[in-house]
Amino acid sequence: MNAALLAFDVVLLAGLLGVAWRCLASTDLFRAVVLFITFGLLLAIAWVRLEAPDIALAEAAIGAGITGALLLVTLERLKHIMNPHRGDAGPSPPPDPVASDTGNADAEARDARDPGAGNVALSCAPTPARGRWSAVAVSGGLALLLMATLATQDHGPGLQPAVAAHMDVSGVDHGITAVLLNFRAWDTLLELAMVLLAGLGAWSLGRHDALPARPAPGPVLPGAVRLLLPVAIVTGVYLLWAGSHAPGGAFQAGAVLGAAGILMSLARPHSLPDPDPRLLRIGVTAGALLFLALGLWGLFAGPALLTWPRNLAYPLILIIETGATLSIALTLVALFVGGRSPREDA
Amino acid sequence: MIADLLTAVLVLAGLVFFAAGTLGLLRFPDVYTRLHALTKADNLGLGLVVLGLMPQADGPAMILKLVLIWVLVLAAGATAAHMVAQRTWTHGEFERRE
Repeated sequence: MNAALLAFDVVLLAGLLGVAWRCLASTDLFRAVVLFITFGLLLAIAWVRLEAPDIALAEAAIGAGITGALLLVTLERLKHIMNPHRGDAGPSPPPDPVASDTGNADAEARDARDPGAGNVALSCAPTPARGRWSAVAVSGGLALLLMATLATQDHGPGLQPAVAAHMDVSGVDHGITAVLLNFRAWDTLLELAMVLLAGLGAWSLGRHDALPARPAPGPVLPGAVRLLLPVAIVTGVYLLWAGSHAPGGAFQAGAVLGAAGILMSLARPHSLPDPDPRLLRIGVTAGALLFLALGLWGLFAGPALLTWPRNLAYPLILIIETGATLSIALTLVALFVGGRSPREDA
Repeated sequence: MIADLLTAVLVLAGLVFFAAGTLGLLRFPDVYTRLHALTKADNLGLGLVVLGLMPQADGPAMILKLVLIWVLVLAAGATAAHMVAQRTWTHGEFERRE
């Protein structure tokens, strides 16, 4: 059994290194993005093998899923920027599949395939010719060094006993959540602030253009979205709820809900109403603000900044996690859509 | 013991389908045949793997979750295959820019 697991680990490691190398060395950006998504999925399996299911969930949802979607939409926008003949009157959407059915399908197809000058620039990376062997030698040396360090390192229990000893004051039954929302709440607050900053950056940099994707004709995609959205919402809320006693929590739940929002904005970009800007702003900032407000309340009424009284810890953590889930989900969708909606500028 | 044997046989049978699907993806000539190999084989393969994992589950809740995973992958796989096929049908095959 151990030999089989070892073989699995070696194959997994080789796959990770191979995919990472192909991703970095690929001259085709689309291929690099696909390889990056593959890399994220393999990395999630690696986290499972390291018995860190929380990180595996987050990696699969954020690292592979949403980052992949963000990279793909960025690639599509880059193509539009680099192909000025398509953007005569502002950013125009790509050929509509319905329109191309009725008539100039060939011309449209040729246009879609025509790489153009911009695409050539997009898909041509500088040739990595010189210094390859020295790079291989250096990485080989580094790998040997790392293996030697790992072999001589003694595997201490780390901070696990300290966390286990204080679980009763944390308010939750899952060690990871206890660390993230109670013992090291400061780190998590800063993470939420980072997510908020990313969203603000996207909003400040530009207006939200029409999504480069058009809905596919036919009933299949709307039907699938109708089936998948409720399941995604239930899964997200379940992950949020499970965080107190099992792998899960705000980031995973927010990622699943954000993916549901991205799916919806991709599948029905025309019938989606613009959200109320004020409500949207409240939603996006809710996580960090709630966290900060309750943390300050802890400073004046409780033991210290960002600490919770023992008997109130569970409800407070639940409130913070709920706000954080909402903010993370909304920010991820906002990052994907990219920029504030035109209605806000009016 | 019998449950373990059942699991081993079913999961291995599922892996055969995954291997066949991957082979088809790599060897078949165009998008449609590749999709055919991938979706058919993956759905059946995952179904067999899920069926094989059921004897190892802790209780009915776990079994339901396993079935739910299979149903969701079926729906998502079928939708994605349909969209890839439709895109290919209206826009032609994706060409490598190399």
